[in-house]
Amino acid sequence: MSSSTRYITSMGELSRKDNSLIFRNDKGHKYIPIEGVKVIYCLNEVSINSKLLDFLARNKIIVHFFNYYGYYSGTFYPKEAYISGKVTIAQVKKFEENRLEIAKAIVKGIGINIYEVLYHYYKHGYKELKPLLNWLNKETGIILNKLDNIKQVLYLEGSIWKRFYETFPIYLPEDFMFNKRVKRPPDNPMNALISFGNSMLYTKVISQLYKTHLNQGISYLHEPFESRFSLSLDISEVFKPVIVYKTIFELVNNKKIQVNKHFEKQLNYCLLNENGRKIFIENFEKRLESSFEHSKLKRKVTYNTAIKLEGYKLIKNLVEGEKFIPFNLKEKI
Amino acid sequence: MKINGTLINYYFHCKRQCWLCANRLNMEDESEEVRIGRVIHENMAMDNENSELNVENIKIDKITKEYLVEVKKSDADVQAVKWQVLLYLKILKEKGVERKGKIEFVEKNKQNSKTIYLELTQELEKELELLMEEIEDYIHKKNPSEVLNDKKCNKCSYYSYCYI
Ligand code: SF4
Repeated sequence: MSSSTRYITSMGELSRKDNSLIFRNDKGHKYIPIEGVKVIYCLNEVSINSKLLDFLARNKIIVHFFNYYGYYSGTFYPKEAYISGKVTIAQVKKFEENRLEIAKAIVKGIGINIYEVLYHYYKHGYKELKPLLNWLNKETGIILNKLDNIKQVLYLEGSIWKRFYETFPIYLPEDFMFNKRVKRPPDNPMNALISFGNSMLYTKVISQLYKTHLNQGISYLHEPFESRFSLSLDISEVFKPVIVYKTIFELVNNKKIQVNKHFEKQLNYCLLNENGRKIFIENFEKRLESSFEHSKLKRKVTYNTAIKLEGYKLIKNLVEGEKFIPFNLKEKI
Repeated sequence: MKINGTLINYYFHCKRQCWLCANRLNMEDESEEVRIGRVIHENMAMDNENSELNVENIKIDKITKEYLVEVKKSDADVQAVKWQVLLYLKILKEKGVERKGKIEFVEKNKQNSKTIYLELTQELEKELELLMEEIEDYIHKKNPSEVLNDKKCNKCSYYSYCYI
């Protein structure tokens, strides 16, 4: 786990004590030195005060809040550290003049990365995946080129995800059979995993884009200001197959997460329990911190850094007109 | 943006770097070199009472009776440092403080000596003015120059941005 990220999983109070953070609850207290800490996750009911927020802001620490049930509730985002009027203006201009270019690039990237994830299973004998692989490989690009409005692009994106979900019964254990994607509230264990995973990824992207000059309210695939960080929603998409789904598939196929042990089932919904969330986060972090040789940079980078690099690519597109090619799992760029 | 010592230094080091910096595209410091550079300066600041002087938008390492001293980690880019120091001398002079320049290198690779002395002559002052105009024009261009593709890029904080 990256040492700059801290997780608070139990209930309690987080406050400032001199130049440290202190977390207290009925079990006692724990000091958290501030050096090197960049992100804090509150995954339970945590009380805070404005003195703490001021201290966190001055130290440029981001805090992501999730409620007891694992729903993302919001982010405390210190005043932007990197501001560039030039980039913001370019972002808006791009949205007005050629939003589709970026939106299409993202949808293409989703398809490529899903292909790569599924190809792994195909190689391991799941030949039923062939038609979808063909479609992703040959047809989506052609369809995409012909589209001329955002609605159609979003529709194609929807179809790609839908067809991807439909492959789950092929290679996942039976108790994780997936009927259909239900977001809020998730109604079965697989949906619960996806929802939690996607929210976690989203917060990771927010933290990384924070280090760039991008204005996170201006996005291309999602509607701008759909959320405060719509651009993070955009950038998350191509990493979902790579980070979220690969983590889920591994946990589920290796029985590290089990239906009867790691979920809380209520009448209409189903959520990961505390232990389940812990296991998920541990493996999710491991994947994000694992590194690969970047084909263009010729350096080792972690997947987490690759998220920040997406921000750089976008800035380069906006400022210098370079083609925007989202992270590609196969080519490692 | 006002031309400061950093921009002059960058301009010689790499025009692109100068453009990016002047247009406020700063990257998160990832490179160890950048960090080491900062640590050297911080240590210096602790050793000397009158070090790290701030005059307008420039940062001066140290001022003695006779010299303005600039400390650099390595002597890889002597030309860049020279002009940077000349600018400082000029700004000081405008404030009524006349000094000579002294550049100290912590590590020397290319130069024979660890220290370089220089003076702001009239001629150099004119050259400096022309240089600053040139930089001014350059940073207002729409786009930065191409990536250098040089081995000095490896140590640059813009590496990821330039090569991505
Ligand atoms: S990486 Fe190279 S090209 Fe880019 S700014 Fe630095 S020195 Fe210039």
